[in-house]
Amino acid sequence: MYTLFHGLYKYLTQKDEFWVLILGLDNAGKTTYLECSKTKFKKNYKGINPSKITTTVGLNIGNIDIHRVSLNFWDLGGQTELQSLWDKYYAECHAIIYIVDSSDRERMDESKKTFEKMICNENLGGIPLLILANKQDIPECMGVREVKPIFNQNAHLIGRRDFMVMPIFALTGDGIDEGIQWLVQSIQRNIEVRPPKNFEDY
Amino acid sequence: MGGFYSYFKSLFGEKELRILILGLDGAGKTTILYRLQVGEVVTTIPTIGFNVEQVTYKNIKFQVWDLGGQTSIRPYWRCYYSNTDAVVYVIDSVDRERMGIAKDELMYMLKEEELNGAILTILANKQDVEGCMNVTEIHQALGLDSLKNRTFQIFKTSAKKGIGLDEAMDWLCNTLQNHK
Repeated sequence: MYTLFHGLYKYLTQKDEFWVLILGLDNAGKTTYLECSKTKFKKNYKGINPSKITTTVGLNIGNIDIHRVSLNFWDLGGQTELQSLWDKYYAECHAIIYIVDSSDRERMDESKKTFEKMICNENLGGIPLLILANKQDIPECMGVREVKPIFNQNAHLIGRRDFMVMPIFALTGDGIDEGIQWLVQSIQRNIEVRPPKNFEDY
Repeated sequence: MGGFYSYFKSLFGEKELRILILGLDGAGKTTILYRLQVGEVVTTIPTIGFNVEQVTYKNIKFQVWDLGGQTSIRPYWRCYYSNTDAVVYVIDSVDRERMGIAKDELMYMLKEEELNGAILTILANKQDVEGCMNVTEIHQALGLDSLKNRTFQIFKTSAKKGIGLDEAMDWLCNTLQNHK
């Protein structure tokens, strides 16, 4: 009897664990995005003052719970020399958030090429891809209408993966909700390909 | 009112944060400790036992423990693990041969339950020496990609020249304040 209730309790409180990689060029706003998401979705979390966020060389982690799903984030450094470390995480992630600095027109092409190289990795087959066009507050930035076609040139490489481009402003958190909602839905749709981390507990 | 109180509390910093400086012998742990405390390079001898100093950085008080790194005394590191807020792991970026040992010691250490909540800072020290390993090489040599549940950051430092230590301390302060 105890086992039955215990099992039921476990079933009801059980959360599927997923891992999400946050990638993008340096200074795109990856850590700011992570901090802002944590502030939004976690109670009693104050978040680091954005002005104090420095270049990441290493790993920042974060965790948010939403709709019985637990999302764990890995935020990696984006400098060119650190990009060779990204693929170590591909095999275990359930989705990718790729952040683009929309105000930096000069590096848009570099960003696109890095994205291209990333999605060619076979460990990312079938993984939902979310592109966030950050820094939408800057007056002469590129809107989603401009960013989207650039990345759509890779349509043949993206293939049948869930793919979305959304605008955000990570400093204030505008657009973060929508992105997370989309991500959760896509990850759940993709559950057959990439089962949650705690799958063996079932 | 409560906001006021917590503001002042954060300003004067009630609790000391406990930091361990670990790493192989000759990595530069003691030099880093005294660079942080007195701001200059002191002549050090190999530490047998430990040095402990109180370091104040931007109104935050740290209790910094620098433990000896020789093979024979590494097993005693674990006696100091409890209540540690952050581990500063110092690497000699020139010592390619012993990078494997540095990795094993690091991984062995991080398996300890007492350090589960601790933040990891890796200082790639001796960056002023020519032919030293860069951050990517060190990341790979230490197998840091296997750390999936811990926030960590690597800093290039040179304790001798005082490069990179302020950045590392800034990051530690910011991250620790949020970690609580």
